[in-house]
Amino acid sequence: MKPLAIYIHVPFCVRKCAYCDFASFAAREDDWAGYFDALNGEIDAWAERLHDREARSVFFGGGTPSLVPAAYLADALRHLRKVVAFAPGCEITVEANPGTLNVDKLRVYRRAGVNRLSIGAQSFDAALLRSLGRIHTPGQIGEAVRMARDAGFANISLDLMYALPGQTMERWAATLDAALELPLAHLSAYSLIVEEGTEMARRVARGEAAVPDDDAVNEMQRYAVRRLEAAGLMRYEISNFARPGFECRHNLTYWSGGEYLGLGSAAHSLMDDCRFSNPPELERYLAGERRLNLAQRSASDRKEEMLMLATRTVRGLDLNRWRAEFGEDLTRSRAAQVRKLENYGLIEITDGFLCLTPVGLELQDSVVLELMED
Amino acid sequence: MSEFNQSKIRNFCIIAHIDHGKSTLADRILEKTGAMQLREMTDQVLDSMDLERERGITIKSKAVRMNYTARDGEVYELNLIDTPGHVDFTYEVSRALAACEGAILVVDASQGIEAQTLANVYLAIDHDLEILPVINKIDLPSAQPEVVKQEIEDEIGLDTEGCPLISAKQGIGIDDVLEAVVARIPAPSDDVDAPLRALIFDSYYDNYRGAISSVRLKGGRVRVGDRIRMMASGREFEVTEVGAYRPLGYAPRDELRAGEVGYIAASIKDIADIRVGDTITLADRPAPEPLPGYKPVLPMVYCGIYPADGADYETLRDALAKLRLNDAALSFEPETSVALGYGFRCGFLGLLHMEIIQQRLEREFDLDLVTTAPSVVYKVNKTSGEQVMIDNPTNLPPAQEIESMEEPFVDASVITPQEFVGAIMELCQDKRGVFRDMKYIEGGRVLLNYDMPLNEVIYDFFDQLKSRTRGYASFDYELKGYVKSDLVKLDMLLNGDQCDALSIIVHRDRAYPRGRSIAEKLKEAIPRQLFEIPIQAAIGGKVIARETVKALRKDVLAKCYGGDITRKKKLLEKQKEGKKRMRQVGTVQVPSEAFMAVLKMD
Repeated sequence: MKPLAIYIHVPFCVRKCAYCDFASFAAREDDWAGYFDALNGEIDAWAERLHDREARSVFFGGGTPSLVPAAYLADALRHLRKVVAFAPGCEITVEANPGTLNVDKLRVYRRAGVNRLSIGAQSFDAALLRSLGRIHTPGQIGEAVRMARDAGFANISLDLMYALPGQTMERWAATLDAALELPLAHLSAYSLIVEEGTEMARRVARGEAAVPDDDAVNEMQRYAVRRLEAAGLMRYEISNFARPGFECRHNLTYWSGGEYLGLGSAAHSLMDDCRFSNPPELERYLAGERRLNLAQRSASDRKEEMLMLATRTVRGLDLNRWRAEFGEDLTRSRAAQVRKLENYGLIEITDGFLCLTPVGLELQDSVVLELMED
Repeated sequence: MSEFNQSKIRNFCIIAHIDHGKSTLADRILEKTGAMQLREMTDQVLDSMDLERERGITIKSKAVRMNYTARDGEVYELNLIDTPGHVDFTYEVSRALAACEGAILVVDASQGIEAQTLANVYLAIDHDLEILPVINKIDLPSAQPEVVKQEIEDEIGLDTEGCPLISAKQGIGIDDVLEAVVARIPAPSDDVDAPLRALIFDSYYDNYRGAISSVRLKGGRVRVGDRIRMMASGREFEVTEVGAYRPLGYAPRDELRAGEVGYIAASIKDIADIRVGDTITLADRPAPEPLPGYKPVLPMVYCGIYPADGADYETLRDALAKLRLNDAALSFEPETSVALGYGFRCGFLGLLHMEIIQQRLEREFDLDLVTTAPSVVYKVNKTSGEQVMIDNPTNLPPAQEIESMEEPFVDASVITPQEFVGAIMELCQDKRGVFRDMKYIEGGRVLLNYDMPLNEVIYDFFDQLKSRTRGYASFDYELKGYVKSDLVKLDMLLNGDQCDALSIIVHRDRAYPRGRSIAEKLKEAIPRQLFEIPIQAAIGGKVIARETVKALRKDVLAKCYGGDITRKKKLLEKQKEGKKRMRQVGTVQVPSEAFMAVLKMD
């Protein structure tokens, strides 16, 4: 059975956050039922094509999957189980926002098989949460984690953000301390990206908000690695930390070049070496548009993707796999660049893996650019 | 033209300071003589290059023929030859003047005589031209025609009796100008039966006719089918077309005769075969002597020009060749730079000339260029007794082989309102200028004379002068000669590797501040990279200034958005493109702009 990761997009939010440029829409309760009908229809239609597949992970992302009644997610899982086999211990994650969770929802998730919660905390700083446009308070984060724990969730992850306008090193350290008070198996620490067209970008353009400079951001990042690893959450990807054995299997699939099926609006897929995606607009998705931009990957696509994704992980790029797939030795075909990057202390080659050093991970884009063919 | 009568021909040009209204007057004359219908006219017809119109200056000389019915009832053939106004183009001005019998001197009724006006008037006097003063812009509230008239009499010694007072802009007094041209400018008196001698005062390339010579016939006649010889180069060609110029094109004719102005086309492909100032004669009946005054023009300023994209090298070469055809003063030859790849060492008459060529390359040929710091031509006296001329710092012999060096000095004259004298003297001293003379002239202004090293003039002298005098001072210079000087080669090192394209030759006393300023500018221009980059300015291996570009601290996309890798891919594509525009200097990626940043003033 070929392994498969399944992503299900839930494009609804209470309101749009200041930094968000994902395909998500505030409120729109009226659309929920129709959307999940369409989603279940999409799942059912895959029946014929998934009989040789085994789901290793399912991930409800958004948007805010925890916003909608839990029964919708349970229902989707029921449809999914009918069309594809679930591997034993299949990792099933729901992304949740603290302000939207309650005991009943958590109970329904558990019954439906959900075994991992990824909670969008972002910060334990009330003022920063407000400026980000988050709907929750710092107190609600701890409450959500404890509720989840009580409901039987052992694999809980928290998302945090740094490099926020107005954020100092001290405030970031305080947020990390607060997070580490909680029983977490996993933590993601993302540096803010000011995306074009977002409220945040407008604020920055108007001079109302200023992001910390690269040196300050770099320091926050290094501090986070030290603090989290000292607490037993080991870095395994640029922005991701986990207790051993709790690395997110679903995300590892993306980074290791595994295949995945994205369901729902705006979801991207990589199946049978082809990339395709559903339309980001709700209307087009509801109208039945599916599998757009279908494209077979070229060898150079596959090379670039493996380079830019595998080197995000601490383990690095599997050189034997590179040789098997592309018939070349990367350390020879890019010998000069590899030597240069080694000399600068940005990469290391050990046990058949090419991995980025902690400094290399900070500069991953530049390192990948060096390694890429011109 | 069945009947040919030299006495009805008037060949003249217009000389003026920039902005005093030369082009506008030319337009009015064209309009008045009916050479142009009103509807055909756009402003400033003779300035046909976009660049000329934009900058309000004339770069190339051009000619146009008009018929004018004077008050005496006779029809006259007027040939107006337009001349460039800038000091860089003095040689071209002098060739254009040699084609005329007279010149209209346009002086702004409120500005009076300027440095450049004087320079061109003296040139015209040298060519024995009849000079016809005309006072323009009399409609301006600040106009002082009587004061300006007096100035013309006192400073140039011209009779201003009956001098036309006009406003070219308003069309006032244009008839008076034309009548004065007919009455006061002598008709040519060239011998039609003598052997052909045609002075080339301009040349340019026409896609259908090949290289074309603009000529003034000083003797003889030339017709289609004649075999002509270029007297300086000795090359021969068969004439395919002769004719006169109309404002918007050609008027082919059977022949051109002594006294006339027109063009000769002869299927000439090789750009080197037409040189402004050369004399054309007939191969089977050559003139014994060429017309006087031809000199090969010598560039004063050199710089390297490289295509930003190496693939454009051929395009750049063709573009330079095309421009060279219209511009005898432009020289270029291939050179290679470790940092910049394949390009050309180009020679120019001066800074404005250089800037104009660069802009024309970019606009007319759509090229993206990287240019190196301009250099003058140095004389190097080697210990072996040999003397070499160096226009590229990279070619400077090793220090131990140099006995001494000489640099070109110019005689610089600045005319300024009195209040800026202090600021200008300070500037000239900063630039190693040697004070020569100071003279009070009309209108509360001062004429300052300095001997200045040309290499300081080409650095940022113009910009400094403009900013220190709020644009009020005018500046002119003339090559004076070579002077022994304590010069050194200043090298720039990036991460320990010398960058040839950034080396300059500079006076030892100026080396430290220049080195520091270049290092600072490079620090701004070079983006952070994977490692720390030391930028050093050095003289013969001794570091005199140092800056550091800190290593990149953060260059990573925090989140890879689910399965959507398109953003990350787009980002990498963008970075890849950016990388392509960089030059590799040793281990360092240097953006093209960095090479130019060195030229900017502080």
